[in-house]
Amino acid sequence: MKISLKWLQDYVDLADFFAKPEELARLLTSAGLEVESISDQAKQFQHVVVGHILEKGVHPNADRLSLCQVSTGDGVVHQIVCGAQNHKSGDRVVVALPGAILPGDFAIKQAKVRGVESGGMLCSEKELGLSTEGDGIVILPSDAPVGRGFAEYRGLNDVLFEIKVTPNRADCLSHRGLALEIGCLLGREVRAPKTELRRVAGAAGDVSVEIQAADLGPRYAGRLVRRVKVGPSPDWLRQRLENVGLKSINNVVDITNYVMMELGQPMHAFDTRELRGRGLIVARAVAGESFVTLDGTELKLDGTELTIRDRERTVALAGVVGGKNSGVSESTTEIFLESAYFRPSAVRRTLRKFGFETDSGYRFSRGVNPEGARLALDRATALVVEIAGGEAAAEAVDVYPSPLERAEIRVSLKWMEERLGYSVEAHDFETWMKRLGAEFRVLTPGDYLVIAPSHRPDLLIDADLLEEFARLQGYDRIPEKLPKLDTAPASHDAEYLGERRARRTLAGLGILQALNYAFLGDRAQKEFVGEARGWRDVGLHMDDEDVRILNPLNEEINVMRRALTPALYRNALHNFRNGERVGRLFEIGRSFHRRTRARSEKFAGTEFGEESRVAFCFWGGETDLWGRKEAAPPAMRLKSDLESFLRALGVTGWSWRKLDSKPSVAHPGQAAGLVLRGHLVGFIATVHPLRLEEDKFRTPVAIGELALASILEVAGLRRFQPFSAFPPVDRDVALVMSREVSAGAVAESFQRAAKRLASEGGDWLRSVEIFDVFEGSALGDGKKSVAYRLMFQSLEASLDDARVNSLRDKIVQDVCSAHDVAVR
Amino acid sequence: MQSSGWEGQLAEIVREAEAAFLLASTSKDLYELKVKFLGKSGSFQGVMKAMGALPPAEKPAAGKLVNEAKQRLEARYAEVEAALKAKELGERLAAESLDLTLPGTAWTPGAQHPVTLVMDEIAEIMSRLGYAVRTGPLIESDRNNFEALNVPKDHPARDMQDTFYIDEHHVLRTQTSPIQIRVMESEAPPLRVVAPGAVFRCDADVSHSPNFHQIEGLCVDRRVSMADLKGTISFFVGEFFGRGLKTRFRPSFFPFTEPSAEMDCQCPLCKGKGCRMCGQSGWIEIGGCGLVHPNVFQSAGLDPKQWQGFAFGFGIERMAIIKYGITDIRLYTENDVRFLKQFPS
Repeated sequence: MKISLKWLQDYVDLADFFAKPEELARLLTSAGLEVESISDQAKQFQHVVVGHILEKGVHPNADRLSLCQVSTGDGVVHQIVCGAQNHKSGDRVVVALPGAILPGDFAIKQAKVRGVESGGMLCSEKELGLSTEGDGIVILPSDAPVGRGFAEYRGLNDVLFEIKVTPNRADCLSHRGLALEIGCLLGREVRAPKTELRRVAGAAGDVSVEIQAADLGPRYAGRLVRRVKVGPSPDWLRQRLENVGLKSINNVVDITNYVMMELGQPMHAFDTRELRGRGLIVARAVAGESFVTLDGTELKLDGTELTIRDRERTVALAGVVGGKNSGVSESTTEIFLESAYFRPSAVRRTLRKFGFETDSGYRFSRGVNPEGARLALDRATALVVEIAGGEAAAEAVDVYPSPLERAEIRVSLKWMEERLGYSVEAHDFETWMKRLGAEFRVLTPGDYLVIAPSHRPDLLIDADLLEEFARLQGYDRIPEKLPKLDTAPASHDAEYLGERRARRTLAGLGILQALNYAFLGDRAQKEFVGEARGWRDVGLHMDDEDVRILNPLNEEINVMRRALTPALYRNALHNFRNGERVGRLFEIGRSFHRRTRARSEKFAGTEFGEESRVAFCFWGGETDLWGRKEAAPPAMRLKSDLESFLRALGVTGWSWRKLDSKPSVAHPGQAAGLVLRGHLVGFIATVHPLRLEEDKFRTPVAIGELALASILEVAGLRRFQPFSAFPPVDRDVALVMSREVSAGAVAESFQRAAKRLASEGGDWLRSVEIFDVFEGSALGDGKKSVAYRLMFQSLEASLDDARVNSLRDKIVQDVCSAHDVAVR
Repeated sequence: MQSSGWEGQLAEIVREAEAAFLLASTSKDLYELKVKFLGKSGSFQGVMKAMGALPPAEKPAAGKLVNEAKQRLEARYAEVEAALKAKELGERLAAESLDLTLPGTAWTPGAQHPVTLVMDEIAEIMSRLGYAVRTGPLIESDRNNFEALNVPKDHPARDMQDTFYIDEHHVLRTQTSPIQIRVMESEAPPLRVVAPGAVFRCDADVSHSPNFHQIEGLCVDRRVSMADLKGTISFFVGEFFGRGLKTRFRPSFFPFTEPSAEMDCQCPLCKGKGCRMCGQSGWIEIGGCGLVHPNVFQSAGLDPKQWQGFAFGFGIERMAIIKYGITDIRLYTENDVRFLKQFPS
């Protein structure tokens, strides 16, 4: 909200702040009315003067630019390049000379524009910060004095504050409201608005008012003014409105806006000759009725909206916008001024329903002063009579069948002390309540009954008064203490601890953590995810359909993510394109799905599920020492990192499974599922070559996505395991098998066989490692040879060769009978 | 002259061996010569055997002579061997030289995203004051996100937050505050919790991301005041930004707290003197806080006459901007490796 210091000065004496507006800003900010910016017009328009275009020529190097010779009355002729088209020789214009700093920190300098010297700028309203639109430069009247400072010429010696008013402080959305606040803070007297009529009122009014929906519109006041002359507003009025960001329309409309900006009471003016009948009704709309707003928008009403109606139809949406059918026009001669109180919730519903944002609706929906309607009406009437002529009806109409009751708030100083943490003196409390304009009664010493002033409808309960007192005293009065801790702290959330441990472990493995949005575009998601079934079949929760956002910002982020890898893969591609040939990323976050709850549960119907996931994307092959060895595929790196991760978490007993059904983005021959406690909990895979080709991702890429909770669930406690003091014995076994046989499954089979042979020393088998794999014509078509190294070690004794060999033979025999493999 | 015969033979062997030792070019060759001359079936052994035939009276003198010769040869051997080994070691070391200016095997430290680093750090600082971490769902009910937090439908405070809706009753949580409600409804007071996590606003420009992160703190007890709140925030600021930085409260409005305050801390960059980061004011806004509104206690089933409490919230990205000097919020979601690797763990 823009506030003019000159306007405030009408109501409270702030002459001492014109030279130091930043001090007033500090005062307001520390009282909770944050001043976002201050613009001091006098400073703003230094080096901006009225100029005279002596000659308008064409720029030698640019058809669209003009080259003007401009006099600024000091005998110097300034050559200025200008891009606008609306000026001609002889025009009086606004010239910003070098040294001027226009709004938006735009410094004007002597410069060359397309090779021609330009010593300043001819300004538009927009460049001067006086309006938000307008392309052409300002053309001043031909009698504008050349050389005069622009601020002086336009009477721009005001200071304007941009104030961020919080939703509870609707009372500060006007100049007098803010004057009351400042008066309270500084202890200065606040003047009343001038409401006396310049001319004695005319005949009695004959426009009646009836309230049929007092629940939504408790008060409606108005006054008929005859024989008004609609026309342009006087300069001072136009200036004040423009200063606070409103456009001048005509004198009557400007007055209604002026009173709103001055007193915070939104007003409306009807052209009574356009009304059907001589009566207005405050009532709900008729369902199905259509209504055209002042600016020509046609709306369909459903009967819940609060409206102002004449005998036949809606003439205004109460508190939101007037109707085209009854608005003030150039030919209007008789008006009915409206000043009402509508319920904030009623106005807000209408605003939301039609997506309106009007100054009037903004104020009503935050709560105007219900007792302020009459004052505003009198002020507006006085201004209309003064500015637009006319004759006010002898009496105003004011229908207010059941006046709103103000809250009686009981509060004690002790209660306040407990919550503020410092001692509250009765004298201080009473002083502030008086300055605030509250009525109060001492029930017993230190115990009060307070009624807040009607312009502060936000003060309803003791806690509101507590804040009000603390705020007026200044928050700097609050000391610093620490609350006593006399119960044992609770434990951290298990999910947080698990995720934190996972994050730290993965970062410790040299992987970088990415963090993506929880939503993405439905098309991108569909394209990457493919059939949901492939994801479900690897143990991940995934719906066929997206969880959609009803009101997305754009199509790039319109659904919740069903998987983390789509975005992570994009991150990898972005990095690859930026020169990162090799990289490893992980992300921990949630995926979303829908689930249907039983009716017996707390929230029946559709609910949403969130699965905690860990996802990976590795790309590029890491070579060993200066490219001496062939690069390992990223999927193998991912597998070993994932196993290191599991080991670090204390997970035991995992295995890998070849996948029949898997996400379509996976390379069909390079994918594996992780099995924990008999269940698939996710997958790793090389990304399908077609996908990489399409993205011109010219290096191998691996992805992985797993249900993190399923991993953390089996993450073990760390318990000490004894180990052997006797020497280990290695035995190598090479097996020939078909290419399709899973070498890993065979390795597990060694372990299983050893377990079965426990009575014959099977528990000596400490590890099974694959140390060589090769394929060659000597083996036969489609065959491979896999070499396993079995390490035997006993906890109790040194092993002798004969017993180890016999055990090995039995194990190998067992493995050979379980798989289609043979000893080479 | 039998004796002079074996004596001559002995002298001959010693001479021959000494010459041979000197000609050996490797320690391995040398060792073979040692075996040849001094080994079990070596030349020296032959002389020893011949000595067995000597008369007993001559044996001691002869034995002494042989031992002396043997010792002499062994000493000579050790000498030559040391020289050869030294030479060989030199050659081996020269051959093994490795250019350590070549790159090693690539291993770069991993890193956590700065957003989670800041979350963890705040959680850790607060847990020293007894706060426990709590989490909640990102798709939240309208009731928990708004109504229970004293923001009914048609309340102007809904304008403060542009909300993503999933359906009529569900939103993407616009704040971490619904976790307050969840905690108060499921755990018995006194309570001290911090709730970090992602939040969403239907708003995006150069300084706003539609998906960002907050951390929320809640303390509920029999007696909890604004002074306790200020002391808590002051402790936090000292731990997170550096000791000695002052904390300031400014009145503000949040529907779920009354009184409400914005929290400022002295700019950690200029220590309050005024700089570009703090817009010359010396102060930086870090979040919002206040005493829990009685309506919020009531919604969560706690009696506001019995319980008091305070709550506070920080924007994680904002804290990281201040602490690490990250200037462009797009960096947080781009996941550029050049950004991520700047925060190694």
